[in-house]
Amino acid sequence: MVDGLLVAAVGTRYAGSMLFSELQVSATLAEPEHFSWLEVGLLLACIVASGALFFWRFGPILRNIFNSKKDADFSLHPIGRRVRDFVWEVLCQAKVIKQRPLPGLAHAFVFWGFLAFALVSLNHLANGVRLGFLSPASYIGGFYFLFAAAWALLVAVSIFGLFVRRFFVRPVWLGKKISYESGFIAFLIFLLMVTYLAAFFVDEGSGAVKALWWTHTLALLVFLPLIPHTKHLHLVLSPLTIFLKRDGFSKIPPLAGDEDFGLVAGRDVTQLISLQAYSCVECGRCTEHCPASTTGKALNPKEIILGMRSYLNEFGPASDSPLLVEAAEESPDNPPAKYMSMEAVFECTTCGSCEYQCPVGIQHVPIIIGLRRGVTNTGAWEDTYGTKLFLALEKNGNALGLSATERDKFIQKQGFPIFDGTQEYCLWLGCMGGYDPKGREIIADFARVMNYLGTTFGVLKKEKCTGDPARRLGNDLVFQTMAEFGLKTLETAKVQKIVAICPHCVRTISNDWREYGIAPEIEHHSEFMARYKDRLPKQSSGESIVYHDPCYLGRYQDIYEEPREIVAMAGKLVEAPRSHERSFCCGAGGGLAFLGEEKGERVSHVRAAELAGTGAQVVGTACPFCNTMFRDALSSVSEAPPQLLDIAQLTARALPAVVQPETPVQ
Amino acid sequence: MKILVAIKQVPERDAQIHVASDGRWIDESDLNYTINEPDAYALEEALQLKEKNGSGEVVVVCAGPERVTSTLREALAKGADRAIHIEADDLGERDTLGVAQILADAVKAEAPDLILTGLQSDDLGLGQTGVVLAELLGMPHATIIMQVEVTGSGLKVKRELEDGWFQHVEMPLPALLTIQSGGNKLRYATLMGIKKAKTKETKTVQVTAAAAGPAIRLERVYLPEKQKKTEMLTGTPTEVAAKIVEKLKFEVRVI
Repeated sequence: MVDGLLVAAVGTRYAGSMLFSELQVSATLAEPEHFSWLEVGLLLACIVASGALFFWRFGPILRNIFNSKKDADFSLHPIGRRVRDFVWEVLCQAKVIKQRPLPGLAHAFVFWGFLAFALVSLNHLANGVRLGFLSPASYIGGFYFLFAAAWALLVAVSIFGLFVRRFFVRPVWLGKKISYESGFIAFLIFLLMVTYLAAFFVDEGSGAVKALWWTHTLALLVFLPLIPHTKHLHLVLSPLTIFLKRDGFSKIPPLAGDEDFGLVAGRDVTQLISLQAYSCVECGRCTEHCPASTTGKALNPKEIILGMRSYLNEFGPASDSPLLVEAAEESPDNPPAKYMSMEAVFECTTCGSCEYQCPVGIQHVPIIIGLRRGVTNTGAWEDTYGTKLFLALEKNGNALGLSATERDKFIQKQGFPIFDGTQEYCLWLGCMGGYDPKGREIIADFARVMNYLGTTFGVLKKEKCTGDPARRLGNDLVFQTMAEFGLKTLETAKVQKIVAICPHCVRTISNDWREYGIAPEIEHHSEFMARYKDRLPKQSSGESIVYHDPCYLGRYQDIYEEPREIVAMAGKLVEAPRSHERSFCCGAGGGLAFLGEEKGERVSHVRAAELAGTGAQVVGTACPFCNTMFRDALSSVSEAPPQLLDIAQLTARALPAVVQPETPVQ
Repeated sequence: MKILVAIKQVPERDAQIHVASDGRWIDESDLNYTINEPDAYALEEALQLKEKNGSGEVVVVCAGPERVTSTLREALAKGADRAIHIEADDLGERDTLGVAQILADAVKAEAPDLILTGLQSDDLGLGQTGVVLAELLGMPHATIIMQVEVTGSGLKVKRELEDGWFQHVEMPLPALLTIQSGGNKLRYATLMGIKKAKTKETKTVQVTAAAAGPAIRLERVYLPEKQKKTEMLTGTPTEVAAKIVEKLKFEVRVI
């Protein structure tokens, strides 16, 4: 292998010589031969000054991060996942490229160029103190310098392109304010590359060599103290941020102890949150895909993170000053004058698009829910609808505020057997399945599918809400009550397997309830039906069906293919423009289905228009909340709206009509 | 200002009520209990008065078996400062006077400035307990209150009358008010409230011997028996009156 490398090195050198001999220049990097002791001293002084300035700015940031509250539930394990994420997201720049391909690739080149240049820069400075270790004359040195030169070219072109994009094309998501500092840094990077490349074209021993060397050095040393200033800190922090991410998507940490009510003030901000706040590169990808931000609401995930950063800069991590103000305030500054507002924070549907694609590992959803907890658990949030929801959950055990007898009547009418331990599955109705007319239709159809397949199931005699809306709105008291009740009910009834039609129920039971106990295994009805797809009838109508990925099934649980398999059996599958992990929220999540009227455009209408715009005859859903949201929205956005059917309904329509079991006479 | 709120724990509003097998009371085995809704509004009024005033104390009192302590805890979680639990297992055998007597005994020592109760209870709906309690304590009272305002010399309250009419009454303190539902927006119990409730005092007291023993005996509890027998009487008021008297005399035989 070494022979091969040597051949490559010699070959490159030879080729380089051949190429440059035409231009009558050397194929090797010209380095200054002699540094006087005065110059060495000057260099050392500059390095010290640069380092001091860097730490003068970085020190307070490091202090803020270390002085923040420790994350009670943090664990370095499983470390394999952390290493994998680090390699994929940092080294391979996967998220950077995937979500915005062209600028992403340009950034990736700049990053990889940085890495490739590591030895170059080190050697460069070492030269200045007469300790240079890589010689351009040697084979390894020569090869490496040419290798770095190729990268320098790539970096120079990329940074130039990115500069043009930021300052002339001006994409909306990068914000209205021009950052002169970004421009200056782009210039410095460009200068570093140009001074490096130019050294290949100058004669050894000429004055130009020294000039280039000093220019390069000064550019480097001016760059260093600029790094801790605003977003350029990601150079240092983001590899760490990605490595130390919470394990799990939208992972809400348990409250720690009797005094913890969520993110009330600075003293509640944890180390992970501080680290994430300082890592934000202000790229605006979170904002670009946020359903609230794109429909004219106050919420802007980027501003939440930057607001957190500004708060830490001004008040510090030990402050008692509240994190949230009540109403959103307009501000010409970036970030907003008064950090984060209650108004904005309660416009979040917890869809997770922001967190899903953040290239530097920021986890927005736990932060937003933490902020909600801070005002809900302390009673500072006074909202008519929120209060009504919490009281309904407390009194009636369901989010719709209906009497539990309504669910009993539905079960009786449908003739569902009560779960008694002899059946295979417990069919979890949920609030929508038990009380909402459309949800009940979906349950009835899914029950038909199960009966057709001969799967035995029963429903719980008494079922309360999983607590999902309370959980997302930050009410841990109600959530705890619901979760503990649910766990106890399932345990008493000796349930082993659960199937549900609602992704919120599935996620909350399998994931969020872990704080209070382990529930039996639960799956979504799409997973169930996909498993039996060979036994379910295929329909030949050829009807076009556009499938909408629910947030809590797609991004939250990575279930994309199973529902599509079912849709494909019922007709022709059509994809929405934004699908899979880029699916656009229906607007119901985060407890928002139960809150008051939205400001700006309605999220459900935007998505309904997008779905109807595909020209499909049917909109296929896999979540009763999405179904409810689109029910009104579709007729508002289209003259001849497509039919709206859940995957259970799409499947059941092909089944033979089933005779209902006789309801027992009372 | 010390405000005392008398609350009652009742079966949930939409609970299915069944008569017990002995026919003398209802079957309590499958019931869930909660705070009487008008009392929740009384508590909310008390908490708002305390908040508006900036200082004061809200004490909740509830009579009943062990299970009522959960309702007291909820009240503490919503912001009440102290709770008093009057241990009593025989509320079903007490009439209004009996219940008011045990309440009066327990709260006499407290000497509150203001007592609030709900207008009536969700289960029995008698609407009398607050009034009788006021009489026993020798306090002026006003019922069906929508709004309370503390003035320099006492209170100014707004009473709901029929047909969209209201009445404003000025009264001195100490006094008792029975609160109508819907006057304020109820607050939800928060996690912070529940944690604080653990540190608040709940005092348990027994029914004193002085309070009268059970004064009533329930003979029978039954669902109304439907009998379709309606007769419409026609004619002028004088004629109809004469017909009624005749029927009461000779058919129903009560006069």
